[in-house]
Formats: sequence, structure tokens, C-alpha cells
Amino acid sequence: MLGLVLRRVVFSLGALLFVSFVLFVLTAAIPVSPARAVLGFQATETQVHQFDHEHGLDRPLVVQYGAWLGPVLHGELGKSLVTDLNMNQEIARTLPITLELVCLAFAFAVGISILLGTVSALYEGRLIDHAARMLAVLGVSVPGFWLALLLILLFAVDLPWFPPGGIAPISGGIAEHVRSLVLPVFCLAVFYVAILSRMTRSSLVEVLSQDYIRTARATGLRRPLVLRYALKNALVPVVTVAAMSFGYMFGWALIIETVFNIGGMSGALLDAINQRDYALVRAVVLVFTMIFLAANLLADILNAWLDPRLGKAPR
Amino acid sequence: MSVTMGAVRRAGRLAPLMRRGAASLGGPTGIAGAVIVAVVIILAVFAPLVSPYNPVTISLDHQLTAPDATSWFGTDQSGRDVLSRVIWGARPSLEVGIMAVLIGLVGGVGLGLAAGFYSGGWFEQVIMRCVESIAAIPLLIWAIAVVGILGVEPMHVGPFVFSNQTKVMGLLGLLYIPGLARITYVAALAESRSDYVSARRLQGVAEWRIMLGDVLANCLSPVIVQATLLVAIGIIIEAAISFVGLGVQPPQPSWGTMLADSRNYLFSGEWWLSLFPGLAISITVIGFNLLGDGLRDVLDPRRNTANFTA
Repeated sequence: MLGLVLRRVVFSLGALLFVSFVLFVLTAAIPVSPARAVLGFQATETQVHQFDHEHGLDRPLVVQYGAWLGPVLHGELGKSLVTDLNMNQEIARTLPITLELVCLAFAFAVGISILLGTVSALYEGRLIDHAARMLAVLGVSVPGFWLALLLILLFAVDLPWFPPGGIAPISGGIAEHVRSLVLPVFCLAVFYVAILSRMTRSSLVEVLSQDYIRTARATGLRRPLVLRYALKNALVPVVTVAAMSFGYMFGWALIIETVFNIGGMSGALLDAINQRDYALVRAVVLVFTMIFLAANLLADILNAWLDPRLGKAPR
Repeated sequence: MSVTMGAVRRAGRLAPLMRRGAASLGGPTGIAGAVIVAVVIILAVFAPLVSPYNPVTISLDHQLTAPDATSWFGTDQSGRDVLSRVIWGARPSLEVGIMAVLIGLVGGVGLGLAAGFYSGGWFEQVIMRCVESIAAIPLLIWAIAVVGILGVEPMHVGPFVFSNQTKVMGLLGLLYIPGLARITYVAALAESRSDYVSARRLQGVAEWRIMLGDVLANCLSPVIVQATLLVAIGIIIEAAISFVGLGVQPPQPSWGTMLADSRNYLFSGEWWLSLFPGLAISITVIGFNLLGDGLRDVLDPRRNTANFTA
């Protein structure tokens, strides 16, 4: 178990190093020099060369990567060449907004899907099961950002139940804050409700058909208790996928934030792209990749912990 | 009389064929999926014949008209027919969705097959570690960031010109490789240890012929299922990237950019601008998902993981 965890941690760090290098090369090998973005297209070649020299952009790529990586390892993302903003502050300003959105959507998705999956497994083949299955197909097929547009039309424009965009600050009252989060959280969660409820259902159906559950029932164990034991085993694969989907959710949060005009990480990333601020693009993508890798690592560890057979056999 | 008899006889021969066809798609949901996919593909291919108007012709006398008998889905801010744009918009979606999967298949199946067949050496280790590293990349964010960095203008590399759509396609394909490689690898690993492979070896058949001629065919079931589901995901991702302005560029119609434009008319009551393009995406994606589910029931009944990438 410990060996497996160590192996996964080492792999994750290695992958992060590799991916960060790819990211660096991509953001450094851009068609337009950052000097052009800062100095404008009227700048002379000499000015561009001087700018590149001052900011060390004329050094070999590997040297530049080293110069970037050193401070990053100490948690210093540096300053943007374009806006002169401290990127740590930029991330600190926008990440909590995205984090809140994703965490709420994640909690909602996990809670609802376990409930939905359990109900449809218990009523396997009945109407409610078929309905849940149809909902799941819709959930993985309907794009969240389109659902968002429709819900804004219905519940923010036609019926003024929710604000059409933005997140009301907590300082303005917790009720307003929650109200402004309902639509974005729902739209972000729908896809994962579909995925996770389907997994819960199929896993629970399989567990419920096992001999030990039949034995437990035969001994006269009360149904809720049987269900509790069954769920404990059925949720093993669900937990792993849930942990991974936490990482994936950040990607879709970008799109949902755009629809609702929420000033989270998506704003930072898209603004950076529009301003050709590649240092900020690099920083934002690095943060996202780190979260994604951490979620995957957590999924691996949880999997090994919940299903000890995996920890023993070398992969 | 003889004509009807012939028709009956032909129908009699046709029925089992249709039943077998239906069974190979995994029952009614699989058939529904196949029908939807076929209809969307036909509409996309024959868009010039099917669409009632030119999708890019601006008509300033007919701006933002609600759906009526002349334009069923209404018109947009430039007076362009929304129905025609929705039909033409199927093209970039399907092109990106299908081509990206083909790229992923070539790379992923190739790598996974080789690593699984020649397992137990440095070759397998190197390939699978590389694949795992690429899997450490969050797909959507990287797609957005990379297209953002490269710029949406057509890219010139030597004599070739890559449109932004081609870039999105290639990028998605690249990011699909790890998932498809892993599925193929697992299958190839199991197959390469089976008796028929040893038998072929004893017959003196060359290794690469066993790999491509025998093992590959037996690994394809889970790959085909996953590929179908990846097309569905690819269509949503293409729409999402176009939605943030980094995919298909105007005036070329695409579902994602149409939805992005519709955001400006949410409050003024032009609901048809946001309804129809999204409906088109959803129906197409439902089609591929149902088809994938149906194929899984037939080809790969044990695997029960859901469509899970992105």
C-alpha cells in the first residue's frame, strides 16, 4: 500500500515536471513575441531585441525553463510581462471563486447521483429505473453551457427567480450569494450526476446479486442494514471516478463561468489569451494541471485503499 | 400477383437480415442512435441541397425574425436563416468529432497494440509511461490554452496551411491517444498470451503479421465502443471551444459560435437563437451516445464504465 502510494506520488511529480516542460515550450515557442504584445507592432527590431534581452527571452529554452521553474517550485509564479500584475495575486483572486463553484457542484453531483443510482438499482427494470436511465443519457449528451443558456432564459429572464449572471459576494448576504450560485452549480453538475449515478446503479446491481447479500437477507437482516453493507462495497469504483471527475470539472467550470459572466479562473485565462499574456496563460494552466493531477493521485490512492487487492499486485 | 409474391419473398429474406442488423446494434436504443447519427451525417453531407437558404447570406430586411413559414427556425442578427446555419453547422462538428477520433485511433491503437504485444520489456515501459504522462493533461483547458496560444488565424507550416478547425481536430486527436492506447493495451496484453498466438508462432508466422492480422482484430471491440463515445464528447468539446471564440471562426456557421452569439439576445426575447443550435448538438450527441451504448451491449458486455473523458 505504502509502496503503491509512493510510486504514484513519484509518478505524479514526474508527470507534472514533464507536462510543465511541454507547457513551457508551447508558451515560449509562440508565433508572436511577447515584446510585440507589450511594445506594439510599430516597435523596431532593435527595441524588440532589447526587450527580449532584458527579460531573458533570447536565452536557450532549457535555460529559460530552469529560470522559470526555480521560483515556481517555491510557489512564485512571477510577474506578467504584459499587465505587470503579480500572477500569484491574480490566481489568489480568481481561484477561490472557481474552487467554490466546483466544490459545490461536486458535492451536489455526488449526493444526488448516489441517491439516484441507489433508487434505480433497488427498482431495477421498473419505470423509475428507466426514467433515471433516460435522464442519464440526456445528462451526458446535453452540453452544460447550452443548458445554462436555457435556464437563464427560463429562470432569470422570464421568471426572475435567479440572477442571470455573476456571483453575489457573501458580504451582500448569504441568501443572495447562494441564489446566484444555484444555476451555475446545477449546470456544471448535470454531466457528472449522469456519469456517477449510472456507475452507482450498475455497481450496486452487481453487488446486490452476490451470494453474501443473499445470505445476509436470508439471516433476516433488516433491509436498510443490508443496503448499507451493499452500498459500502458498491461505492468503491464510484469513489475513484468521483475523485477523477473533480479534476475534470475545472475544465467545464471555465465554460460555465463564461456563460454566467463569473470572474473566476476562466476570466483570467481568456483575458490572458486575448492580451497575448502567455506568462499568465502558463501560470493558470499550470495551476489547473496541478489540481487535475492531485485529483487523479487521490483517485489512485483511494482506489488502492478501498480495494486492497490492487495495492498488492504490481501494475 | 407474381410481383407481390416476389415482394413477400424478398421481405421474408430481408426480415432476418434486419433482425440481425438490429441485434448487432444492441436493441432499440442502439438502432435509435444509429438512425440519428445517419440522419445528421446525411444532412451534413448534403447541406447544400437540403438547407433552404445560403447560411452566410446577410439579409438586412429580415433581421431577428421569429420562426415562421418562410424560415422555420427564424433568422439571426444579420438576417441569416437559422435552420440553414444549423444544418451547415453539422459539418464542423462532425468533422472535428470524427477526425479527432480517427487521429486518436491511429496513434492510440498503434501504441497500445505494440506495447501490449511486445510486453515485458523497456519498449512497453517507455510507451505506457509516455501515454500516462499525456493522460495527466486536462483535455479541455489545454485545448483552450493551446489554441489560444497558437492564435485562431490559419497557421502556415512549410507548404501546408492549417485552419483553426484543423488545429482543434489535431489537438483533440492527440489528447485522445492515451485513453485509446490504454484500452488497446489491456486487450492486446491478454490476447498476446492466448493459445492461438502461440499456435500461429509455431506455424512460423512472422510476429508483425500475428500482431496486425490476428491480435488487432480481437482487440477492436472495446476500442470501437470507446471511439463512438469519444465522437460524442468531441462534438461537445468542439462546441465549447467555439463557444469561447477559439474554435470555428465566423462567418462559417458552427453550433458553438451560434450559441455564443445568442448570448447577446437572451434578454431581448430572441429565444430561437439559443434553442435550435443547442438542440442540434444535444440530438447529435444523444445519437452517438445511444449508438455507443448499443454497441457496448453487443461487443463488450462486461465493461460497464461510462463515457468518461473531459
